[in-house]
Amino acid sequence: MSGQGLTGLPQWSRRLVAVGVLAWCLITVFPLYWVVVTAFKTPPGVVGGPTYLPFIDFTPTLQPFIDLYQGIRGEFFRTFLNSTIVGLSAAAIATAIGAMAAYALVRFEFKVRLGAGLVFFLLALGGYLLFNATFGFTRSQALLLAFPIALIAAVVANRLPLPGPILGNEDILFWFVSQRMFPPIVTAFALYLLYSEIGRLGFQLIDSYVGLTLCYVAFSLPIVVWLMRDFFEAIPIEVEEAAMVDNVPSWRIFIGIVVPMSMNGLLATFMITLAFVWNEFLFALFLTNSRWQTLPILVAGQNSQRGDEWWAISAAALVAIVPMMIMAGLLSRMMRSGLLLGAIK
Amino acid sequence: MMRNDPIKHVFIWPAVLVVLAISIFPLIYSLTTSFLSYRLIPPIPPRVVWLGNYATLLQEPRFWSALFTTTLIAFIAVGLQYAIGFGVALALNARVPGERLFRVALLLPMLLAPVAVALVARMMFNPTMGPLNQFLSKFGLVNLPFLTNGHWALACIIAVEVWQWTPFVILMMLAGLQTLPEDVYEAAELENASAWQQFWGITFPMMLPISAAVVFIRLIESYKIMDTVFVMTGGGPGVDTETLTLFAYQEGFKKFNLGYTSALSFLFLIAITIIGVTYLALLRPHLEKRR
Repeated sequence: MSGQGLTGLPQWSRRLVAVGVLAWCLITVFPLYWVVVTAFKTPPGVVGGPTYLPFIDFTPTLQPFIDLYQGIRGEFFRTFLNSTIVGLSAAAIATAIGAMAAYALVRFEFKVRLGAGLVFFLLALGGYLLFNATFGFTRSQALLLAFPIALIAAVVANRLPLPGPILGNEDILFWFVSQRMFPPIVTAFALYLLYSEIGRLGFQLIDSYVGLTLCYVAFSLPIVVWLMRDFFEAIPIEVEEAAMVDNVPSWRIFIGIVVPMSMNGLLATFMITLAFVWNEFLFALFLTNSRWQTLPILVAGQNSQRGDEWWAISAAALVAIVPMMIMAGLLSRMMRSGLLLGAIK
Repeated sequence: MMRNDPIKHVFIWPAVLVVLAISIFPLIYSLTTSFLSYRLIPPIPPRVVWLGNYATLLQEPRFWSALFTTTLIAFIAVGLQYAIGFGVALALNARVPGERLFRVALLLPMLLAPVAVALVARMMFNPTMGPLNQFLSKFGLVNLPFLTNGHWALACIIAVEVWQWTPFVILMMLAGLQTLPEDVYEAAELENASAWQQFWGITFPMMLPISAAVVFIRLIESYKIMDTVFVMTGGGPGVDTETLTLFAYQEGFKKFNLGYTSALSFLFLIAITIIGVTYLALLRPHLEKRR
């Protein structure tokens, strides 16, 4: 691997490259160092101008963290708990059902008629308009009625010899991944309206555990399916074929053989999904307001609430950042085995 | 070998159902809403205006300025990310001394919450108490209006985007570089090709498909930018740094102008689709020629 690009260079330019990388590394690390240091400063230590070294430039204090824990600047403890609960469960559910779907797309053959897809879309849209405008249902009732009807009609239509192209596994995969391309504001806002209408039917989804988790599961699925497909494709099929000769049912092959063999991939996917949910801002902004508020919302609110109290803001930012720093360390270990290599092909 | 077993439906349906329910349904809902004149505050009963919302939006200068700002941020930031990221990846791949140490540090920023990163950026860019101000004042540049002047604020947001997402480019390009065959380089060595020639003749063309994918992903993601701007400038000063998502948030969540916001988000979707399709169409001839 040494032949690429640098061996032709003389010694001095090798050094130049090393200095360049080192410079970028410093740019990357310095802001992080700055938050850590600032979080241990006293208010006068911050206002008095930039200081850099603890014990030499300034005397460190734990006061910002004590304030944080006592809830002086918002209920950090509960918000941290919210983020953890929602993050872990959304990542676990998304990894589980996403991995199942990815496995199905790798090992089983699917045929979906484009016609059936159109039937679904037209019936859902038309049924919704019809129920809402003609029969006088509310908007959410109309949607909830149109959904199963359109779905059943589409499944039936898929059996009929409709004209038009037949879509295979690759197309289904593309459909999954293309969900990620949508600007989230399109769905976030609509989801907010939909949730509040369902709330009027007596089932609260806004600012609830179920509503938030469900939304995060849906938006993590594209990544999960995309990543897991590559891991499953890398598994030699002979093992599964041997099990099939012994008449082991497919679900036991999946749970007993495939899942243990791709544990590394599942773990990495879980962590990437967790990071995504943990850091997510837009959906949490729309879908929560008090009880199930997550960390990014509380952290974002810090500077508008009290102005530039950098010592406290640093401590708050640190609470949101540190769990992900730990994960970065874990992930980079896995990365060494060329883990994400398959994902970009 | 593809199996055909009815159990496949059990495997795939949970994921399909969740995605259908949570992302397709709101889409239908907001598509129909975008044809209505519908406000919650002050409450007006919904009225069908067909393309009225879209027409109003296309004449609204604030929409065009938001689209322009978003495009500017996305293109400049992704360009810089690609240039720096590719460079660092090449260096790491060539086993620059201390390469192991760099890896964790280089990976960090992309895993951190953009909201927290933006707060840190506000500290760094603080015109009186920030370390950057102290550094620049040594060169005689004191109290620069980092976040209070439109152009400076835009530059700062781009800088933060580059800081946070270059690691993603490094990661992907590094993975790509490691798949390149070595014998081509050995042949080039025999021909006495210089490092510069090797890069433009071999490395760059062979990395083109991966580059295209990485730039595409980053471009699409950059268009969604919201949290960084929300915390750093709130769209200000004035509306100088307002992006599309932020504009939609202001209209939808502050004014509860439902029909208008739905139309706005669909225009956004159309804009992203146009950009994505154009990008792929422009690149396709290059990608196929190299195969």
